[in-house]
Amino acid sequence: MSETRPESRLERFAARAVRPAGLVLLAVAALAGFMIARAPADVVQGVLYKILFVHAPAAFAAYLGFVLTAVGGALYLWRNDEQWDRLAAASAEVGLLFCTLNIVTGPIWAAGAWGKPWVWDPRLVVTALLWVTYLAYALLRSFSDEGPRAARFAAVYGIAGVLLIPLNYFAIDLFGGRSQHPENLQRGSLGVGIAGPFMAGLAAMLLAFVWLLALRVEVGGLRARADRRRVESLGREDLA
Amino acid sequence: MNVLRAVLWKDLLAEWRSRDRAPAMVVFALLTVVVLRFSQPAGTPAGDALAAPGLLWVAYVFAAVLGMNRGFAQELENEALSGLALAPVDRGWIYLGKALSNLLLLALAQLSTAVFFAVVFDVDLAGVAAPFLGVALLGAVGLTAAGTLFAGIAVRTRFREVMLPLLLFPLLVPLLVPCVQATAGLLRDGSLPEGALELLAVYDGVFLIASFLLFEYVLDE
Repeated sequence: MSETRPESRLERFAARAVRPAGLVLLAVAALAGFMIARAPADVVQGVLYKILFVHAPAAFAAYLGFVLTAVGGALYLWRNDEQWDRLAAASAEVGLLFCTLNIVTGPIWAAGAWGKPWVWDPRLVVTALLWVTYLAYALLRSFSDEGPRAARFAAVYGIAGVLLIPLNYFAIDLFGGRSQHPENLQRGSLGVGIAGPFMAGLAAMLLAFVWLLALRVEVGGLRARADRRRVESLGREDLA
Repeated sequence: MNVLRAVLWKDLLAEWRSRDRAPAMVVFALLTVVVLRFSQPAGTPAGDALAAPGLLWVAYVFAAVLGMNRGFAQELENEALSGLALAPVDRGWIYLGKALSNLLLLALAQLSTAVFFAVVFDVDLAGVAAPFLGVALLGAVGLTAAGTLFAGIAVRTRFREVMLPLLLFPLLVPLLVPCVQATAGLLRDGSLPEGALELLAVYDGVFLIASFLLFEYVLDE
């Protein structure tokens, strides 16, 4: 067993992907920044609306992270392979980061555009609920002792958290909120000259997600290896 | 099925002999109702409390969390939880047994709280008793379906009393919204808002099935 071999195939892949993903991210982010800066100002909102180039893609990345958390958890329960648990932990953390970005940028924009930072809007409330749910997920991880039990608990909670997303939508519907978010991103809902920068912003955000996730997965693998080596060296001392 | 009956019987028998959970839940719920009554602005006539349906459900949730926490904490004594985990049976049925005993205790607490609540807040629950009991039961099923699963998790973490509400509350919103809306509708004109019962049934079904399957990974030796 070589000393420097990463923990698993997943982590090997992540370690190899970090650098290229980072470089591509740099290029795409620069391009997106340029395109967003050049995008026309809105007649009513001025430049304020440009925060949406960050806000909406962050939401996509957050949802992606939470779905990956459930997938990683389910794979862990199914295959009993630690690498999937580390994937779940990584995507929950990164997803929480993007969810926070989304929740912080939303009110900044809304304060200017709606006149109020926070209104009863279905998508807003569902996202806020998800944010709380994954905060609880993070707390659960930090409050349970490391090991297979903590991994199983986190997997169970991650799966329950994703089951919650459609239920939340029905609940908000029942509560009677009217969405002020655009229904979809189909052609036409993005104004002239905005679709390009928006897509560039989306690509940059998703690449940032991939890059951070790969980094976090790699760190998780390294940490697991360090733990194992510490245990091994303790065992050797006991023998000596 | 036999497992379900055995676990349920054991829980109810233990409760009958010690009589600790049910009284604690009932008294706690009643106290919550009293505190909530005083949380209204001074001079609010009792029957005018707009938030009454929501406050009633707050009391229910608090009582449920208290009871479900105890439900697993008592299994820690004498390593009874490990014994349950070692039993060569499908753990889903153990879960259903625990959930059912939690449900019965919660229903008891709900019933007594509802009577007290109707008096303190001067709302006419008796007039809509039958549909209200249906809503309360559907809500209680959802509360215990999700709560029993997470109580099983919380009991094995540090700060276990704190962990259950932290885990459970974010997941309760799609359950509490239809419960509160339905209760409010019943109190207003005796009607149920469209979709409330369906959402309750879906929530109950989703969490019963998911917990039945996932409990396998929650219980360990």
